[in-house]
Amino acid sequence: MKTITNILLFVIAVVITGCYQQHDSRIHLREEVGSDSLVDNIVTRPVAYAFSALIGEGIEITQAVTKRNDAGFLELHISGHNRSYQTRRFRYRVEWLDENGLLIQTKTSVWLPTSAMGKSPFSLKAVAPRPEAVNFRMDTKKWE
Amino acid sequence: MKAKTLGIITFLSILLIGCAQETVNIDVMHDQGKPVMALDYRDFDQAASQLVQSMLASGALKKEGGGRYIIAKGRIINDTMQRIDTDQLMAKIEIEILRSGQAVMTRAVGADADKLIHEARELRDDEEFDQSTIAERGTLQAFNFSIKGKIFQRNIRYDKNLQQVEYYFQLMLSDSVTGLTYWQDEVIVGKRGSNKSVSW
Repeated sequence: MKTITNILLFVIAVVITGCYQQHDSRIHLREEVGSDSLVDNIVTRPVAYAFSALIGEGIEITQAVTKRNDAGFLELHISGHNRSYQTRRFRYRVEWLDENGLLIQTKTSVWLPTSAMGKSPFSLKAVAPRPEAVNFRMDTKKWE
Repeated sequence: MKAKTLGIITFLSILLIGCAQETVNIDVMHDQGKPVMALDYRDFDQAASQLVQSMLASGALKKEGGGRYIIAKGRIINDTMQRIDTDQLMAKIEIEILRSGQAVMTRAVGADADKLIHEARELRDDEEFDQSTIAERGTLQAFNFSIKGKIFQRNIRYDKNLQQVEYYFQLMLSDSVTGLTYWQDEVIVGKRGSNKSVSW
């Protein structure tokens, strides 16, 4: 009897997992919008929240790409992910460097506010205001 | 008795001086100061930075075949409850346009026209001046683009204790010949704070 119950539970678990459809990765369905899954549901979520806060999850930068636009200015495209469950609000400042690695003085290098919602990807874009910019450095700080 | 009174006065004076709020210079590069409901320099820095980046990235100022466009400054309307010198925004934008190497600003016409440019031309035929140092006719250049904008404010009662103040910075760049707008953008700075705070 116990074996039959175990097999039944296993089959139900497999069926439920099998029924869960992986949606297009470009579309992010938040909790209470998309369907719950075995790993993300009303029971597991509080544990995941607490664990995330405990290990101090936050913003991660996954990619920083520079390209020169049609007008001849260097563009910086940053992609990142907020690993925490909380919305992270922060400020960033991009400074531009010339071919000698020297700082280009510009009024555009100021602290700009941005935010990323919990467990979500985000993107930033910055444009160098001078054609002589060839590199950059970026700093972040907490949004007070 | 007199000595005692003097002593008390001296003590109180020292106490009051000690309590006075000390004046400090703001570190404008890394200001840790709290936000205020009115517009401060950080808001203008943010708006100017975002507008300049948007304008340059648009490619509207890139002149085919090289050279620089000429831009005239139009009216920047201050429709907020504050007394703002709109140059607080425009000076930063003009500086970056000039430094970008893509355009120059003209002071011959526009909202910020330099009267001396025209006064210098009124000196023609004035025997007191060396005429070879006076600008000849037909030397001023017309502008290719005009830049105009608006800063306006909306106050919204958020709840019993809080108010929301929204500031909109709008700027647009139009072709002086065709009248077509080649670039336009808006930056919103929003603040939420006590109803007791005043935003003017």
